[in-house]
Amino acid sequence: MKKSAFSALTRCSALALCVGLATPAFAQQEVIKIGLVSPNSGANARYGAFAQRGAELAAKEINDAGGIDGHSVEIIPADSVCTPVEGVSATQRLINQDEVDFIIGDICSSVTLAMQPLVEDAGIVLLNAASSNPEITYKAGVGGYKYSFRNYPTDEVRAASIVEYAADKGLKKLAVLSVDSDYGRGAIQFTKKYTGAAGVELVSEDYYKEGEVDYRAVLTTIRKSGADAILMYGLADTTPIIARQMIETGLAGKLPLIGNGEFSAAATIQAAPKAMNGAIEAAAWLPAYESEGSTAFVASYEAAYDGEEPNNHAYGHWETVHMLAQAIDEADSTDADAVVAALEGISFESPMGAITFDDHHQAIRPLLMLEIVDGEPVVTGSVAGEVDYAN
Amino acid sequence: MEFLIEQILNGISTGSVYAIVAVGMTMIFGVLRAINFAHGEYYMLGTFGGWYAISALGVPYPVAIVIGVAVTAAIAFVIGRLVMERMIGAAPEASVVATLGVSLVLQNSVILAFGGSYKFFSEGYIEPVFFGDIGIAQQRLLIIGLCILVFAGLEWMVSHTRIGKAMRAVSQNTEACAVVGIDVRTVVIATFVLGTSLAAFSGILTAPVNVSVYGSMGEIITFKTLPIIVMGGLGNVRGTFIAAMILGIAESFVAGQFGLQYRDSVGFVTLILMLLWRPHGLFSSHARF
Amino acid sequence: MNLTEPYQSDGARGVQPLRLVLVLGLALVALCAPLVLGTYAVHAAVIAMIFLLPAHGLNLLVGYTGMLSLAQAAFFGLGAYTSALMSIHLGTSFPVNFAGAALMAAIVAVPLGIPALRLRTTSFVMCTLGFVIIGQAISKNWISVTRGDMGLSNIDKPTFRLLGASVEVAGPVQTYYLALAIGALATGVFWLLVRSPAGRNLVAIRENETLAESLGVPTWKYRLAAFVIAAAFAGAGGSLYVHYISVASPLMFQTIYTTTMLIIVLGGGAGSITGVVFGAFLFVGLSEGLRVTPELRMIAYGLCLLLLVFKFPKGFAPLLQKLWDRAGGITRKEGSA
Repeated sequence: MKKSAFSALTRCSALALCVGLATPAFAQQEVIKIGLVSPNSGANARYGAFAQRGAELAAKEINDAGGIDGHSVEIIPADSVCTPVEGVSATQRLINQDEVDFIIGDICSSVTLAMQPLVEDAGIVLLNAASSNPEITYKAGVGGYKYSFRNYPTDEVRAASIVEYAADKGLKKLAVLSVDSDYGRGAIQFTKKYTGAAGVELVSEDYYKEGEVDYRAVLTTIRKSGADAILMYGLADTTPIIARQMIETGLAGKLPLIGNGEFSAAATIQAAPKAMNGAIEAAAWLPAYESEGSTAFVASYEAAYDGEEPNNHAYGHWETVHMLAQAIDEADSTDADAVVAALEGISFESPMGAITFDDHHQAIRPLLMLEIVDGEPVVTGSVAGEVDYAN
Repeated sequence: MEFLIEQILNGISTGSVYAIVAVGMTMIFGVLRAINFAHGEYYMLGTFGGWYAISALGVPYPVAIVIGVAVTAAIAFVIGRLVMERMIGAAPEASVVATLGVSLVLQNSVILAFGGSYKFFSEGYIEPVFFGDIGIAQQRLLIIGLCILVFAGLEWMVSHTRIGKAMRAVSQNTEACAVVGIDVRTVVIATFVLGTSLAAFSGILTAPVNVSVYGSMGEIITFKTLPIIVMGGLGNVRGTFIAAMILGIAESFVAGQFGLQYRDSVGFVTLILMLLWRPHGLFSSHARF
Repeated sequence: MNLTEPYQSDGARGVQPLRLVLVLGLALVALCAPLVLGTYAVHAAVIAMIFLLPAHGLNLLVGYTGMLSLAQAAFFGLGAYTSALMSIHLGTSFPVNFAGAALMAAIVAVPLGIPALRLRTTSFVMCTLGFVIIGQAISKNWISVTRGDMGLSNIDKPTFRLLGASVEVAGPVQTYYLALAIGALATGVFWLLVRSPAGRNLVAIRENETLAESLGVPTWKYRLAAFVIAAAFAGAGGSLYVHYISVASPLMFQTIYTTTMLIIVLGGGAGSITGVVFGAFLFVGLSEGLRVTPELRMIAYGLCLLLLVFKFPKGFAPLLQKLWDRAGGITRKEGSA
């Protein structure tokens, strides 16, 4: 599996070399280097791996199609271990040693926050595709950091639409079971802004650490709490664990899961169909989404990586590389300021719909509302989210 | 009341998993005086072995258990010969650095070989059985049962078999064993392989209910195990069983009453409180380590 | 084979020309490095010098009192949060934050040290590891102060204020000189400390606690003092760290921080000041150098640790000592050091 990613990379560089030799006019800028900062070791490597595979797949697709104006793209990975100090070192190396033109990263928000001042000083464009801390874009664009962009939905829009949707469904009492990270905690913080107006009540709040495997104790408590649903902003691989333990503790089929956490992945539904039925999710993307671009992505990802089903990190990084390529193409240059201008004015046709950036460099992108019905994800609507920076 | 019973049951089911992993670590500590910071990696290796056997070879779950344990035992044997054997009589600092090194190598080799992404473990007996309102997966009942069997077996081994007695002797006085002709190296390797195999066994047993399989899953287990073996009185098999159950039940109550976010602190908070009260551990009359 | 044997230079008195050249040469290299090295290498040197501070503290514990503590990362994190919060809420300048962080770590170390120091070897290690885990839980859950997992971001660069003028130390090169000054100062303070009669008493405690006690050394007070001083060093390191990296979050309590500090001290050579200074640069350098092969980086790092244990069981201190001896014109027989 690793091998194919590696060979894709070698092919990229081989191609780059050919282009470089064939067209000396482009000698100065033969390969466009994109640094990818993500956790490749430590507990979060399981998400970093998807990010890297997604980005490398996109680079391969771009190069196979002739590159950007004849320039091929190379992804240079750097390990952040999901730790600010390692992330900063990785970024310093990418900027000063590998002399990359652009940087994509990181997954962990604290690392992204530490990277922002660095890329700003170096004048290199940073595209984030997975961090959810609101601070990242409150401080970007007109907020300060000129070179930072985020192509990832904000949790505020997501939280607000989930609360509204739940209220419409008559799910008024929610038990919180979210991941103990800025993502899980932040989404619940935003949720509380909207519960009052919607008449929804949070009856309990629990946060699980990344990598938690035992939910029986808390599920037992939730069963007694009289909640109508479990509000979960979670991680892809913990959803099936929780779903299976919901079956065990007799919650499956009684309390639906609502929120976000790859509810619609085939493997997740298959792991515990009874618990996943009725689950409601607000997602930026789902593997089963019926659009030409999306199904093509899933097919080529599975072909490239031994049939592994891609997750949202794989998709997000894949999409972000393609978006960056379009921006470079439109700017007709790899100059940071030109690409910033191109990104600010971009209208990128992603498989999920058009994506643009607001003045804080936060992506405005559609968010799908979906429900699992009889083991199949059904898209029930779509919300376009814009952040109100005033409050 | 029913709530109480259910949380105790949850605690026992968690405690059984901890107990099987921790007893291996405590036995290794007994003969080597070394904290094995890589212990969770063997739990991970076992799980990965089982997952690979199922997904690539298509074997049924019981066979996967055997394959997973066997593969881990083989790897542990090699590491035992190359690394752990040299830890006999070494300074504690040396074993900390060495086992941290082993942990990095094992964890990242698996990531290199199988990719860093998470995998789903799809086998096992996950259907629940219900006692009134209280449901529990068959797999968990299996774990609890096997945990009791493992401990009964270990008790029998250390009191009735030659190798078991040798293990006990080495953990009491390594030098004296060398004098009376017990082959310390063999005992250390045997204990190491047995201890890590138990970790692997626990890993595959829990895989059906834990579902997600990935390279760095072992670290959490190592950190859960550390306070247990100290509370149980380092090197003490029976003490470890009781400490694991106490921790499992305490964690369930904290997670159920105060919130899941406080769960991870339970082990070390309990440990520190216990050390304040009884610096010698729960089950030994005097401080040994 | 004991990793924690001290390597103290003895013998040659008076100024040895070769040694003088060596010391001056190293000082010159340290001062000129940023002029030659790229930004990335300078950054790595800054990280090494940041980790040097908690490592000195850990060395005092492991190398001079024989206590293996994993709590340095907890005090490092505490110092980082203290410094960040002072800078955010009080707007104080870097020297004040730096002192505040060290002081806070020292104050917290007293109530933690009193019960912990009653424990024997392994129990002590586990208890100190517990401090890190609990530190992480506090930083995650005391949201009103630490902002939990959101973390504190955009923390000011180190700022000095004098007579109304304000100077900001920005970027790796400027921070390098600040860290160099702090690192040199800390190393000097540490040297004075272990050379003092108090420092010698610490070694006596490590070698034979009962004997030291019978000679009238208040062992308990000395050990507590060592624990507190070590915490202060870690807190100071945390302060420098947070003003350089600009983010404080619960991720600071991850094991990688503990491991880095531990390896610097044990690999450099516990009980040796030069060994630890060398270790800081060597192991941060190694970890960064291995980035050339992203896929094999951590495996190679792990193998290096094993190599270290087997080939250099006493760390690099004996090697450095030999070099130093040779520079001073002393030849020793193998193993007599």
